[in-house]
Amino acid sequence: MIKLEAAHIEEMRGIRKLDLTFGGGKFAISGPNGSGKSGVIDAIEFGLTGRISRLTGSGTKGLTLSEHGPHVDKTKFPDAAYVQLDVFIPALKKSAKITRKVSAPSKPKIEPNDADVASVFSRMADHPEITLSRRDVLRFILVEPTKRSDEIQTLLKLDEIGQTRSALNTAQNRLQQEQRQCAGAVTTARDSLRLHLQTTSLDAAEFLEAVNRRRTILGLEAIAELGADTKVDEGLAGKAEAATFNKESALRDLKSFASSINAEFPELGKAAAETIVSEFEKLEADPELFQALQRRAFIEKGLDLVDGPACPLCDKDWDDEAHLREHLRQKLAKSDAAENIQRSLSKSGAEISECSAKVVSMLSTVERHAQAISEAEFVKKSATWRTDLEGLKGKVATLEGLAELKVRIAAGWLSVPSDFAERLAGLIKTVEAKPDQTATVDAQTFLTTAQIRLSDYRTARKKSAAAESAFKAGKAVYDVYCEVMQEKLDKLYESVQDDFSEFYREINGDDESEFSAKLTPTAGRLDLDVNFYERGLYPPAAYHSEGHQDGMGVCLYLALMKRLFGDEFTFALLDDVVMSVDAGHRYEFCKLLKTKFPDTQFIITTHDRLWAEQMKSAGLVNSKTSVAFHSWTVETGPLVESSAEIWEDISASLAKGKVETAAASLRRHVEYSARVLADQIGAAPTFRADNNYDLGDLLPPVIGRMKKLYGKAADAAQSWGNTTAKELIAKKKTHFSSCALARDEEQWAVNKAVHFNEWANFGKKDFEPVVQAFKELLDCFRCDDCKAWIYLSPPRGNLESLRCPCNGINLNFTLKPKS
Amino acid sequence: MTLQKEIAEAFLEKLEGNKDIDADKLKKLRELISDTKKLKADDVVRILSAPSGGEIK
Repeated sequence: MIKLEAAHIEEMRGIRKLDLTFGGGKFAISGPNGSGKSGVIDAIEFGLTGRISRLTGSGTKGLTLSEHGPHVDKTKFPDAAYVQLDVFIPALKKSAKITRKVSAPSKPKIEPNDADVASVFSRMADHPEITLSRRDVLRFILVEPTKRSDEIQTLLKLDEIGQTRSALNTAQNRLQQEQRQCAGAVTTARDSLRLHLQTTSLDAAEFLEAVNRRRTILGLEAIAELGADTKVDEGLAGKAEAATFNKESALRDLKSFASSINAEFPELGKAAAETIVSEFEKLEADPELFQALQRRAFIEKGLDLVDGPACPLCDKDWDDEAHLREHLRQKLAKSDAAENIQRSLSKSGAEISECSAKVVSMLSTVERHAQAISEAEFVKKSATWRTDLEGLKGKVATLEGLAELKVRIAAGWLSVPSDFAERLAGLIKTVEAKPDQTATVDAQTFLTTAQIRLSDYRTARKKSAAAESAFKAGKAVYDVYCEVMQEKLDKLYESVQDDFSEFYREINGDDESEFSAKLTPTAGRLDLDVNFYERGLYPPAAYHSEGHQDGMGVCLYLALMKRLFGDEFTFALLDDVVMSVDAGHRYEFCKLLKTKFPDTQFIITTHDRLWAEQMKSAGLVNSKTSVAFHSWTVETGPLVESSAEIWEDISASLAKGKVETAAASLRRHVEYSARVLADQIGAAPTFRADNNYDLGDLLPPVIGRMKKLYGKAADAAQSWGNTTAKELIAKKKTHFSSCALARDEEQWAVNKAVHFNEWANFGKKDFEPVVQAFKELLDCFRCDDCKAWIYLSPPRGNLESLRCPCNGINLNFTLKPKS
Repeated sequence: MTLQKEIAEAFLEKLEGNKDIDADKLKKLRELISDTKKLKADDVVRILSAPSGGEIK
């Protein structure tokens, strides 16, 4: 999306004030540990996204951007800590500037403040994954498959997809529960109607026979056909005022309920109740599991309420909503056992709810009969129980509600009032004691009751049909979404695994040219297996070395970023990510970045100076697009060692009479250069186990090696009869020898200057020849055109040439074969 | 195009031929999913539960 042209950083992390020019291209920052490299990465990340990854995530509890983003001496002045970035936006062909202060991380100043520019910065702010640290590399490779799935899904912004899937699944479950409740209501209504009609089924002929028998008694026309709108009490005089109490029907209902109290009710929902009791026993035996379950319910509620970067549970402000969601989801994922119990309780609770609805419906019928004969006490008692049962529906749907009900569920969730059976028996006696209704009244009340129950049945069926239809729709929606999602994710993972394998082969083609990898997504897991020397697929950590795993991490990251951004993958910060990869493979890594990502600006930090030089040798960066920090202090921040300007800096120091400063700079630069050159041209200093080489250890072997290489190149030119090359080599060797001699003469000055603090006795004129001698010597190791150090190719084994990245220097070592 | 959007479009296209979803519900679902706000289960339930194409017999 953007390319970084320049950065101005003030009072951020370990930086006091620093200006860096990136020029929109690949850039390297090197320096020892603690020299401030990562501070630059933090600052750029903050400038672009408003957050600093190192201050968030696991192991960063207690760290905040506002408190720990500013320089340690400016913690009380977060307004002083800011980053200003000059960028180029390729898609818009526009330059822009973004300034972001720690005191207002979400309100950057954007210039020009055009909508399209603001939109690009807004999208950048949503992509903290532009920064890859070593911690992130391991995050993709050496993690549990479930964790890898989470990490990769977050990086690819798949959490939104998961969230949509989850909402559709919840909707489907709710619709299914509604459909079950409605189906239960149909059964209850059907049973009630059938009980009233005294039929064995609701067959139309049987139904009409029962109805028409009563209609005949009343002199009403028989109903020939039962349609959807047929009214069985059609034509009944004074229908509106007609009593609905039918003695025989009421007795059947009351006796049926009385029988259910003893026979059916004790078994109703028994299995579900036993499951709930058993699950709570498990929870009581394991308080931590109970806590996890309670926390789960709490977090789920919170997750549902998330609407912005502020946590609805604790009010903590997050950098963005996605990270807050991810944080809550990771907490949920921690307890599989708690999740299983939660599911079991939820399913059993729903069953209890359905059974309760059935009893409520039956109880309502009983209550209506009691009401019809003015049995107020019974009605009151029944209504109290019914209300209690209706209240169960809400309670059994939550963990807290079930916990509250656990004693009741263990004892019998229906909680039939102790005297209810007795009262019901009394009600039955009261009804039985009533005089028999005349045939006419019986027929009238039979028909009015039948009509009421038929209407209830029809209504229940309509509701059930609607609920069935809604559930089918919900299921179709969820199934289709999952199908499409799976198809797209399979393709996505396939493309990621192919790119990953290809990138890894690019780096390790010398010994793993047949490398392949397999990403397997299954139910919340993402397994990664890699081919180990064609012996089969294994997890990355099984047989591959740490260096290879480092390489895999970066390759997987690049494959994921390619998939995430496509052509817009123009920028990434790689913070010390290939430290375990060996020298040979680092060259290939540079090649990978150059060839596969030609339009991507990588800003790469490393604590390894050789790696920094290899990036130059491989042509990934040059002296103008790299910077070295040589040290850091809390007062000054990183101190920049700029090869390009070192001689100007030394001259400037001498011009001010600061020989002490010039001598220190010169010595440090020569030491650094000698170390690089010893590696680049294969010099052999006396080995030191502590790796603590000083200038005297390194420079003489480098000079000696260079002379030998000139001799080797001259022999090769001689063998091919290439006089021109031979003369050029001789000329270079002579010049080099003269520079080396001059350096020999001035060596004492540098040593004394640095080691014995005698600068005070030196004047500008005394030191200028020293500087000149070293500059001329070091220039012998650089190409005049590309300014890069020369290096051997290949770096180890049978040497073929001494060259520079642009080929301006290329001395051949291969002898002409003897015929 | 984001993967989320890509999936949403393919999903809605595939739903068009589904016998369990009528045109009215699909239209409302499309509007809901096109909304930039996060999808809520309650909204989906409301859309799918609404009678459409006349009263269900």
